[in-house]
Amino acid sequence: MDSVACPSTPRWNVERPFLTGRFHQFVFNSTFFGLLIYLNSPGSENPVGCYHASVQELLVIDDLLSALVGIEGRYTSIKRVRGNDGQVTFQVDASMDLALQELTKRIFPLCENFLLINQFVESRSQFKNGLVNHAFAAALRALLLDYQAMVAQLEHQFRLGRLSIQGFWFFCQPMMGSMQALSTVIQKASANNFTGSAVLNLLQSQAKAMSGDHAVRSLLEKMMQSASSAYLGILERWVYEGVINDPYGEFFIAENKSLQKESLTQDYDAKYWKQRYSLKDGIPSFLANAAGIILTTGKYLNVMRECGHNVQVVPMLESSKLTSFESNHHYLECIKAAYDFASGELLNLIKEKYDLMGKLRSIKHYFLLDQGDFLVHFMDIARDELAKRLDEISVEKLQSLLDLALRTTAASADPCHEDLTCCVERTSLLKRLGTLKDLEINKPISDSNDLEEPVSITGLETFSLSYKVRWPLSLVISRKALTKYQLIFRFLFHCKHVNRQLCGAWQIHQGIRAVNTRGTIISRSSLLCRSMLKFINSLLHYLTFEVLEPNWHVMHGRLQTAKSIDEVIQYHDFFLQKCLKECLLLLPELLKKVEKLKSICLNYAAATQWLISSSIYLPKPEVVPSIGSEKSKPWRSRNKVQALKLTAEDATTATESLLKFEREFNGELQSLGPILSNSSQAEPYLTHLAQWIIGVGNDQ
Amino acid sequence: MPREIITLQVGQCGNQIGMEFWKQLCLEHGISKEGILEDFATQGGDRKDVFFYQADDQHYIPRALLIDLEPRVINGIQNSEYRNLYNHENIFVSDHGGGAGNNWASGYHQGEQVQEDIMDMVDREADGSDSLEGFVLCHSIAGGTGSGMGSYLLETLNDRYSKKLVQTYSVFPNQMETSDVVVQPYNSLLTLKRLTLNADCVVVLDNTALNRIAVERLHLSNPTFAQTNSLVSTVMSASTTTLRYPGYMNNDLVGLLASLIPTPRCHFLMTGYTPLTVERQANVIRKTTVLDVMRRLLQTKNIMVSSYARTKEASQAKYISILNIIQGEVDPTQVHESLQRIRERKLVNFIEWGPASIQVALSRKSPYVQTAHRVSGLMLASHTSIRHLFSKCLSQYEKLRKKQAFLDNYRKFPMFADNDLSEFDESREIIESLVDEYKACESPDYIKWGMEDPDRALTGEGNATGTVDPKLADEVARSVSNFKEFETTLHKANLATSVIWGVIQEYI
Repeated sequence: MDSVACPSTPRWNVERPFLTGRFHQFVFNSTFFGLLIYLNSPGSENPVGCYHASVQELLVIDDLLSALVGIEGRYTSIKRVRGNDGQVTFQVDASMDLALQELTKRIFPLCENFLLINQFVESRSQFKNGLVNHAFAAALRALLLDYQAMVAQLEHQFRLGRLSIQGFWFFCQPMMGSMQALSTVIQKASANNFTGSAVLNLLQSQAKAMSGDHAVRSLLEKMMQSASSAYLGILERWVYEGVINDPYGEFFIAENKSLQKESLTQDYDAKYWKQRYSLKDGIPSFLANAAGIILTTGKYLNVMRECGHNVQVVPMLESSKLTSFESNHHYLECIKAAYDFASGELLNLIKEKYDLMGKLRSIKHYFLLDQGDFLVHFMDIARDELAKRLDEISVEKLQSLLDLALRTTAASADPCHEDLTCCVERTSLLKRLGTLKDLEINKPISDSNDLEEPVSITGLETFSLSYKVRWPLSLVISRKALTKYQLIFRFLFHCKHVNRQLCGAWQIHQGIRAVNTRGTIISRSSLLCRSMLKFINSLLHYLTFEVLEPNWHVMHGRLQTAKSIDEVIQYHDFFLQKCLKECLLLLPELLKKVEKLKSICLNYAAATQWLISSSIYLPKPEVVPSIGSEKSKPWRSRNKVQALKLTAEDATTATESLLKFEREFNGELQSLGPILSNSSQAEPYLTHLAQWIIGVGNDQ
Repeated sequence: MPREIITLQVGQCGNQIGMEFWKQLCLEHGISKEGILEDFATQGGDRKDVFFYQADDQHYIPRALLIDLEPRVINGIQNSEYRNLYNHENIFVSDHGGGAGNNWASGYHQGEQVQEDIMDMVDREADGSDSLEGFVLCHSIAGGTGSGMGSYLLETLNDRYSKKLVQTYSVFPNQMETSDVVVQPYNSLLTLKRLTLNADCVVVLDNTALNRIAVERLHLSNPTFAQTNSLVSTVMSASTTTLRYPGYMNNDLVGLLASLIPTPRCHFLMTGYTPLTVERQANVIRKTTVLDVMRRLLQTKNIMVSSYARTKEASQAKYISILNIIQGEVDPTQVHESLQRIRERKLVNFIEWGPASIQVALSRKSPYVQTAHRVSGLMLASHTSIRHLFSKCLSQYEKLRKKQAFLDNYRKFPMFADNDLSEFDESREIIESLVDEYKACESPDYIKWGMEDPDRALTGEGNATGTVDPKLADEVARSVSNFKEFETTLHKANLATSVIWGVIQEYI
């Protein structure tokens, strides 16, 4: 609150205590003033006791009339209570008739209360005390005017000679209760130096506490209403326009201007959405239940304003004015209406104008490969570049190849395809996962030795996509969400790569179809190739049709029915987290096994050509026989190729290494089984994967 | 335009089913009969460029070669409303127009003669594509042109484009009715050899089964060619949906085939499709769910290859691999449930020697073709019972060959000149070994089958005593003993095998 700059109070307000009623505080502070007043009080010469009781009555009424507005009389004096700031007591001359004295003393609290209230009004009207205090003070001042009018009427009656002390007491009655109640409130307020919502809370709780006394309660409620009107004004601007107009820092929503919306697309841990606007302490209790809604309403309006979308302010009907405090819960209804409007409008804006679903769908095409044809083409044309070592890869070249691939495949129909960029990460997927601590990865990877990068890490392990997301869609597709998409993509991409390599190996086998392969390891090799293909296809099938597609389906349905952008964000995050988890990315132990299996597959695929050529004799690719000129039967030479016995050595090494591949692969696959079935108790989706990978044959 | 596929349609049957195929593709992609994109076809997301390319005036041209030795069918196409669709340079009709007279040798020989013209066309198409993925050949194996010339083309493509895939849609003759082509068994056998050795994948379309399906499933008393051909085109277009409507997986032909085909020679696929309808036929529309579709696909009555197996053998038959391509509005969560259900009910009999399960590819449905059913499915499967089809071909061949019937027609051509009929014998050997391999697939010990070479095993043993690690030695020793067991069972089980055994030992 110190930061709030407010105009300073004019000097005269401080320097001239008689103008503001502050002199009472000084009166007994200095002996000088005390003396002065003592000398000035004329009644001190003749004690009141020397007069007749009827005269005493007239004198004391005269004095009381002054005392009611805070002025000492001849026989009444003001004493400051020691040790209690601003607390004063009235005293009456002890020589007065006892009955009169008693009545007078009964009236004194009213005078004291007046002084208190007046003092409060004066002090709280200063700028620094905030709008709520100002409004409260103004309401009190209005009340004091009534009070003074009452005093004037009493004096009038007195002048007419119609006012007895009993009458005086009678007329004071209505005021006594209210003034007393107000002064209790004020005492509490000034004791704690309340401002803003604290004052409102105090008033409300006091009104509740006094609910037995109808008059007081309605008075306090009226005070409360007047005091809160300024506050509700702030609130109104916030829920209808998204503007915080809060010069004295009284409002319960704070804005952190240092958080920029641009951080959403750059910073993994961007806090923009969560912390740009936040709730402070001191929410007025009558708004406590609605605080969350109020916060989001203004947040939504702000998003729309940031988008340059002209926020169509709710038509300012009299009924929708928050400051009109007619029925008890009218303001809550207004807030609800404003919230509905803001969230509906923003959701509409994001869904329709910024086409959230279209963007998500396009991200799904590229990151989740639901239209994988562009990837096939990209991997075709970027094969050489991707196979390079990490520091030799040219991202620019990959980008242009990616663009080419996007333009020539079904992706070209997607208007968003130009937002796709590619990037090359520095580390392997496993290591990258290790660095992301907040993903709730099941077990921290215990030994760091395993995290050692493979020596020759290529573009195939590190290639990744990126996507330009613009405000306001970056609210949903934040850096963090995009990172998760990237993790899934990298995993899929590598699986696809393995699949392609195995398809290549399969094609090599196809190439020697015409050769009689009986008695060689070829058929065993092709069966191993089949097993590997089956494994990687099953894995891919699990990832796509068992994880991504159903989860996407669910999320898509939820997004259609989402009521607000917060729900959209929540559903989207939930989707990503679930996918990450079910894609094994949060289970390092399993993931490592899978990576191992994939690397065996890759090694095998790379060795296929050698395996085959060293186990059988392959005819050199013949020059296409020029038909016609050759009368000899060319078809014979083509088909009569036999499995030629090679040197036993070659064939044996080939057999050995094939069996080694087979053993390794089957061993790893078998060891995957127990892990899967163990973990599947905690993570039921793993049974699906187990069924796919381990297959039916083995688990029955 | 990546991963293009060039279609070659050879012979009368090939051109007929090819034409139906292109009709279907045009419908699905919203391409008009002139090759111009229809106004309504704006949805995108499909890949027309796999099968089509665009001419300068933006009209779509199929990557197709229409080849025949007689003009009748091709003239029919050129006079049909689709005449402007095809590239006229890609149409080849032999000059004399006499056809091949249902003689494989004639077709093969003529293929040799016109090889240059045709390969020019193939090269031109291949050069016109960015990264050619492979060729698709449509033909029948019984006649003259499709079988003979098709065989020649298969060999040539394999030579010239050894890195490209060759997939064929081969129509097998109707075995139920007496054919007008008496030499059909000869033609089939000779073609089958090329299909075994020179194609990467053969989708078997059995006319017997197609007729049966038309009669039983579609209730057509006398199915016409057009009607059975529309069945074929449905299968052909459905089996290419994952290429044309990209999805998560199987976006290229090699990926599609690699997962289906276990060993280089066992590449014959059978198909099933449901729900079947023929054009303008008001069928009863039933509720289609994923489970329902998958279950129907496994029923023999929906499979487009007839099984000649006797019941005992039929129970031995096993699936090696299955790919179900499901088209339409599918709730992805249903897929897993359906597979689970099928697994629980043990509806599929899979091979025991390796991992196997039903693979599923979900694919979009063309938005431009209205169908009554929400979900439709195509099954591509490698199944061991297909060997009975080959056995049937073999036995028919044997019958004919014993009588030495009609061989004169073949002796006229260079391949069989001087009464050199070794080509027949060689083909028979290869088909027999194919049948044998499929049969071996049914046993749980298939993995040992390929290794059954006593000589090789001995070499292994010899080494095992030396430097090889004991595990490997064990493995080899086990495989040797297994092999010996297997050998004895083989000898007991099948006489035919022993014949082959003799052949193999000859080689050794």
